Amino acid sequence: MNTVIGNPLPRVEDARLLTGQGKYIDDLGTPGNTAQAAIVRSSYPHAYIQSIDITEALSVPGVKGVITGKDVQTYLNPFSVGVSTPVKYYPIAIDKVRYVGEPVAVVIAKNRYIAEDAAELVKVKYETLEPIVDIEKSIEEDAPILHENVGSNIANHRNFHYGNVDQAFNDADRIIKHKFNFPKYTATPIETYGIIAQYESSSDQYTIQANFHGPFIIQSVMAGALKIPSNRLRIIVPKDIGGSYGIKAGTFPYMVLCAVASRIIGCPVKWIEDRQEHLSASSSGTDRVTYIEAAVKEDGKVLGLKMKMIDNVGAYIRAPEPACLYRTHANSTGAYDIPNLMIDGYVVMTNKLPTGLIRGYGGQELYFPLERIMQMIAFDLGLDPAEVIQKNLIKAEQFPYHTASGGIYDSGDYEKAFHLALDTGKYQEFRQKQEEARRKGKIFGVGLACIVEPSGSNMGYITIALTPEERAASLPKSGASEAATISMDPMGSVNVRISTTPSGQGHETVAAQIVSDVLQIPTEQINVVAELDTSTSAWSIASGSYSSRFASLGSSAVYYAAHKVREKILKIAAHHLQVAEDDLTIENASIYSKADPSKKYSVKRAAGSAHWNPMSLPEGMEPGIYETYFYTAKKAEAPDENDLINSSVTYGFVADLVTVEIDPETGEVNILDYITIHDAGKLLNPLIVDGQIFGGLVHGLGGALYEELAYDEKGQFLTGSFMDYLVPTAPEIPNITIKHIESPSPVTPLGAKGLGEGNTMSAPVAIANAVSDALKPYQITIDSLPLSPNKIWNLLSEQKVTNS
Amino acid sequence: MNGKGSLTLEAGIEKAWDVLLDPNVLEKCIMGCKKMEQESENKYNADLSIGIAAVKGKYESTIEIADIEKPSHYKLIVKGEGGPGNVEAAGIIDLTPIDENTTELAYTYEADVGGKVAMIGQRMLGGVAKLIIQDFFKKLGKELKRIESNA
Repeated sequence: MNTVIGNPLPRVEDARLLTGQGKYIDDLGTPGNTAQAAIVRSSYPHAYIQSIDITEALSVPGVKGVITGKDVQTYLNPFSVGVSTPVKYYPIAIDKVRYVGEPVAVVIAKNRYIAEDAAELVKVKYETLEPIVDIEKSIEEDAPILHENVGSNIANHRNFHYGNVDQAFNDADRIIKHKFNFPKYTATPIETYGIIAQYESSSDQYTIQANFHGPFIIQSVMAGALKIPSNRLRIIVPKDIGGSYGIKAGTFPYMVLCAVASRIIGCPVKWIEDRQEHLSASSSGTDRVTYIEAAVKEDGKVLGLKMKMIDNVGAYIRAPEPACLYRTHANSTGAYDIPNLMIDGYVVMTNKLPTGLIRGYGGQELYFPLERIMQMIAFDLGLDPAEVIQKNLIKAEQFPYHTASGGIYDSGDYEKAFHLALDTGKYQEFRQKQEEARRKGKIFGVGLACIVEPSGSNMGYITIALTPEERAASLPKSGASEAATISMDPMGSVNVRISTTPSGQGHETVAAQIVSDVLQIPTEQINVVAELDTSTSAWSIASGSYSSRFASLGSSAVYYAAHKVREKILKIAAHHLQVAEDDLTIENASIYSKADPSKKYSVKRAAGSAHWNPMSLPEGMEPGIYETYFYTAKKAEAPDENDLINSSVTYGFVADLVTVEIDPETGEVNILDYITIHDAGKLLNPLIVDGQIFGGLVHGLGGALYEELAYDEKGQFLTGSFMDYLVPTAPEIPNITIKHIESPSPVTPLGAKGLGEGNTMSAPVAIANAVSDALKPYQITIDSLPLSPNKIWNLLSEQKVTNS
Repeated sequence: MNGKGSLTLEAGIEKAWDVLLDPNVLEKCIMGCKKMEQESENKYNADLSIGIAAVKGKYESTIEIADIEKPSHYKLIVKGEGGPGNVEAAGIIDLTPIDENTTELAYTYEADVGGKVAMIGQRMLGGVAKLIIQDFFKKLGKELKRIESNA
């Protein structure tokens, strides 16, 4: 049988998804006495709760109960979080609301209709307080304070110095600096949050089914909040999740809320979030202000960088924040060889929806200022932006490359990929076209972005939020683990159990490909179980679907688990055939001797022996075939005393070239061509790869041009529907050309790296660079997003540019 | 959100003043006003039922008349809370006599909304506010005429 890894195999998941046989959270059966929840939410961004009158709601026939913050407080601790700031975050407001949409009461009724109607009858009296939504104003002396016991709105602040920044800035010919604003935007899966929670008093156990995809470190956070031993919190994740892009890590507060509601009311509780709730009160990316300064030589070489980043995590800092600020810590200098780096990082809280994972997590916030400043350097020095990028890119011979902040870039050929982008996009030709277009009064531009795409998070990186002294006082965290279990039943059929909780990425397909290769069994005969159950699955704190970790970590766990099975059946065959184990190989479901191919033993028989005839097994061997492998990447140490941290395990590369035309009359940005070159190491399934890249790119396109969770200055949330929150749909998707180069990772056994988030990180800035390039003749520079026609039109109008 | 406007009332200033501040007239002229009861002098409790975009619902409201300078100036403050969120609006009304039987009414207003109404009604709010205010004065004009003709 030929190698299956690397083939563009169609996805095994699609048959069930396309024939309506997917098993999503809302498709799961529930016990007959299950009640439905509706949530009463704050319409004020900042207010004390004076009273909550539930009498009228309780009197509605079919209502089983109404619970408020005061009711749940008995059963809960505040959620723990990875900073020392004493923020008390509960899944429901206790005495104060801090964002519009924050839960203040939960109505439990026999159906959702009754619950929603009764929710309208809950009367909450508030004493309103002055809200704060502006990032920089939130840290001013006289800013309204969200958490009185914290004393300020700063949840975390750290300062990092790497190399010799002062020297770099002294040696510089020029210092180029600018301030950038990255907006708050989100991921919008078709399927919203869904939870079925049940408390059993007999065993004091909570069972929660939810479309939560980890990281499963949050299982401990939830158990801690519920004040129970962690094995009394069983979480079951259905095999199908209708998209997430990170956002469903944020189901956890609602899981705990439903769990407590089940306990108080005394029946299972189901809650399916609606779209308005999802946009206003689920989770989102952070908005960030970055002040960036680059020390540069006249030839465009960047000697050092200073970045002051202020990340807004909304009303409460909650797990896994402040990870957005630190996920990209190792790759803070991107694709460039810049040894001197200073980072002043703030995490602030304001009266907005709390944040969490979304695709690209931290990458788009980092690369927007970084790649914009690279273009500004070029413009300032009168150089071509491609030349400045080229000058600073890490060279192929520098790999493995150690970054200023402790990253170890495993492999790559950035120059090759970048040149492929320039060639594919016909960069020089476009520059000529642009000149001609300008003469005709048309506005053309080309944008470049080169970014490093981190994947497979080191669980130690989040502790960089603590000082080395604080870290020394607590237990270290490290590693990037994942588990997989592979069993062979008595008939030799294979089941694979994964803990990567896929939400549409095709993990089942790729897992089957890997097992097929190792055990030489056709993929159709391999059954992959993606459902995760914390009581029965092999999992670890790092398990789940985030940081593009399947290709780097999940696939590695599957690969090694398959090898354990392979070793066992080879041992069994060697024993029966009386040949040396290393003389045996497997091909087409048959084990045979390399020296004497007539000596054969079928895989099915080997598996059968392990089950039917354990007495025939080699001395000391356990019966059955059921192998679990816990994998961790090796390059995932805890941060050291100098704050050096390799925050991810593998690092891919993306080079984008995008060309745009801007309509001077409407300000609309029309993307002419989008070229993206990827190096994600060895590709496991190129068909899935391109699907993931398309999805990530369109999400990035949304961030660049359309999407923003907008709040007014008084903290009111303005984008609660898809008529207000614009996401790209099919007509908005431009021509996209994807090309690959493959620099296998030496860190992972299959040479693969994560992918699918890269263009979410790169597209916002690539497009912003294209627009800035287009508007250069008008002295307009882009420093905020999204680039709506309104924004561009206003910028053009301010410059008094008319169509003539 | 804010705005302003003016219109001509076909009544003398004293008459116009009386009608404008008559709670029975207010109840009839405020769109969606289901019930209005006096709580104290110049303060009323009302049930308002308003739909903005897809957000329809009831607001328990207070309507307060303040800064009274009879017969030329007052401030109307409406605060409402309900399932769809909250509304807070203040209008300043100035009356100027034109002749014995006509009065100029000028108004400015400021309104804030919160909660669900703000989330999905924002695009329409400006228009809706105008609609509600225009409707109020249209009905008021009719009411004035009716009262004048009955007199």
